[in-house]
Amino acid sequence: MIKSLIVDGAYFLQTSKGYQARKQFFKNLLENNKYRYKKYVDIFMIMLIFVSVGVLIREVKYPIHDYMFYFNSYIISIIFFIEYLLRFWIHSSVSKIIVDRAEHDSFLSREVNLLKAFKKILKVKFSYMFSVSAIIDLLAIMPFFHELRLLRLFILFRVFKLFRYANSFQTLASVLATKKFEFFTLAIFASVVIFVSSVLIYVMEANNPSSPINTLFEAVYWSIVTISTVGYGDVVPISYEGRVVAIVVIIAGIAVLAFTTSLVVSAFTEKLDEIREIKTVEDITKLKNFYLVCGYEDVAQDVVHKLSKHHKNIIILDDNLERVAKAKKDGFTALNYPPGQLESYKKLHINIEKQVKAILCLYENDVDNVYTALTVRSLSKEVFLLSLLMENSNRKKLEFTGINKIVYPQELIGLVTRELIGQPVAFEIIHELRSETSNVKITELAITQRIIENFVNVGELGNEAYRVVLLGIHKKSTKRFYFNPIADTLLENGDFLLVIGYNVFIKEFEQHLHTKVRND
Amino acid sequence: MTKSSALIFGFNKYAIEILKNVKNEYDYVKIYSINEEDIQNDEYEISHFDLSDNWQEMEDEIDIENSIAFCILEDTAENIFLTISLRASYENLSIIAIASHKENANKLLMAGANKVIPLVETTADIITNMLENPISNSVLHDILYEKSDLKIAQIKIGKDSHFQDEELANINWSHYQGIIVLSVMHQDMSSEFIYSSKAKRHIITEGDVLVVVGYETDIKEFEKKIGSNRYVNWSNWSW
Repeated sequence: MIKSLIVDGAYFLQTSKGYQARKQFFKNLLENNKYRYKKYVDIFMIMLIFVSVGVLIREVKYPIHDYMFYFNSYIISIIFFIEYLLRFWIHSSVSKIIVDRAEHDSFLSREVNLLKAFKKILKVKFSYMFSVSAIIDLLAIMPFFHELRLLRLFILFRVFKLFRYANSFQTLASVLATKKFEFFTLAIFASVVIFVSSVLIYVMEANNPSSPINTLFEAVYWSIVTISTVGYGDVVPISYEGRVVAIVVIIAGIAVLAFTTSLVVSAFTEKLDEIREIKTVEDITKLKNFYLVCGYEDVAQDVVHKLSKHHKNIIILDDNLERVAKAKKDGFTALNYPPGQLESYKKLHINIEKQVKAILCLYENDVDNVYTALTVRSLSKEVFLLSLLMENSNRKKLEFTGINKIVYPQELIGLVTRELIGQPVAFEIIHELRSETSNVKITELAITQRIIENFVNVGELGNEAYRVVLLGIHKKSTKRFYFNPIADTLLENGDFLLVIGYNVFIKEFEQHLHTKVRND
Repeated sequence: MTKSSALIFGFNKYAIEILKNVKNEYDYVKIYSINEEDIQNDEYEISHFDLSDNWQEMEDEIDIENSIAFCILEDTAENIFLTISLRASYENLSIIAIASHKENANKLLMAGANKVIPLVETTADIITNMLENPISNSVLHDILYEKSDLKIAQIKIGKDSHFQDEELANINWSHYQGIIVLSVMHQDMSSEFIYSSKAKRHIITEGDVLVVVGYETDIKEFEKKIGSNRYVNWSNWSW
């Protein structure tokens, strides 16, 4: 009876969307560095830690207010306790273990053995409780029992909690962890030197009445102070033999120090690029509405520069290390990920359809563009794809991959040439309007609900007063462009005005559209 | 003055595209290649040329001064050399050159090309406009490539135009339905946007050119109303 209740309860929790969503929410909040609200929790906890340590320091010499004392002893402790419980809860799923066991046993037509499930639960939960960070968390709650004066010192354990909240500490630890073997060797070497020199110095000096080294502890203290090259000078050997030992320890100390420094430096040098890459990927994960440019060759470089002038977010992927370095030097975010491989997009942790505005395949090589386009299409059918085409014979292959827009430079040159000789004035003007460097520009202004509230039709816009030419209106309802619309043309949400004028006047006109308050 | 022949210097993928687009515009179009092997090409009629500055053979065939030349050699240095030698020999020849980058485009302009198309920049401009200004890009594209009836035309103010001696700002353009005047080009070919402070005070004189946007029928109507004619002068380009 109880057994079936437990199993039913576990199934209920496992399938309850509300319960799982809440658990996932807390998991993101406490453990997922990519979750946007986690940093606020981290900052809050770090503040609590500093308040707590501040109170401890203050009360050493000065009395503190009662409310501060209670806040420090109870409120902060309770918050930390709640955090401890939440971490304990999200670390592993009890219901999942029970469900797994039940399914395993029923699959084998056995009676459900809950004992095994409980054993596994205990094992998993204890493994969490005995982890270093969980122990620190637990000790940080101890100041709650402030009547026991000694336990108040446990406030210092709250400082250790900083490791949990500051990512840089974790990065530092992970960097040093890569040299675990080297550090271990160094530690063994230093321990042997300390042990041997401590024993030697004790043997040489302990029986000498004028020597300050009288106990083994003093010998060990002297060895550590000397080998670390600190050398306080409060404890020094005075016998001839003792000084010989000191010479050996000093030389060993220099070696230990040099070795340690070089280990730390080399660990950082080796991991620096990786650390930067992790940071870049984290930043990309949070980006929205950005262009993903695949390949950073000539045309891509120019496109990226032009798009960046429109203040657009751009991420560049290229499998060529030199081009990635060039992109970084040009001040853009670039990763040495091959854009034709699924793995590259997985590493970025992005939702292509929601976060990416368009993917531009700008390799000056059709093979790479087809490969990239196919990879992208296998991930998303919806994302807007634009590709360069270098050889017209490959057009069908690119079309087959589902590219939305193909740009074929040779064809463009042919068309441009024809217009140049056929309609030179139109060409000149359109080129001028399109050019980034021109003073007179053609711009699209979106009609919003706010604008409609103030301007009902085209005649009310008053663009002439702002020295702006209204070329036409693109109506959302008909998806058509209406050149030189009559004054009665109604404005609707989602329409676009196409205006020509000096940049500064267009901006003023746009401001006028957004700020005017209707006077009826 | 309309040019009668087009000479394409260089045989490559650009030459084929240019040939495709200009062959109906000129009485005589010919491709010249610097590589002798290209002459054997079955599909296109190709003649050989070199950079020795000896154009006599070509001169016997066509009136070079009354031609348009496309310098599209893939080697930038050779292309610049070709442009400079054509300009040195023929003052009135219209030269259009293709450059990979803006830097080379400036060199080609210095070498005497009337117009230079920088490949990378042009492609990048088009891609950026497609992405950032899709509506204006499609409207302008349709005007340029004659996919809509909308046109940009230049109307020269004639002797009998009643706009003559009027200040640009005083003209009520709303009388001319369906037409938008974008800019005015002075006789010295400098162009001013219609709302620029300089253009506002400008007094229209004979020879000024108005650049207008409109449908073909409206442009014709406008021409009739103001007593001026459409004007095409493509030999004076400014980039």
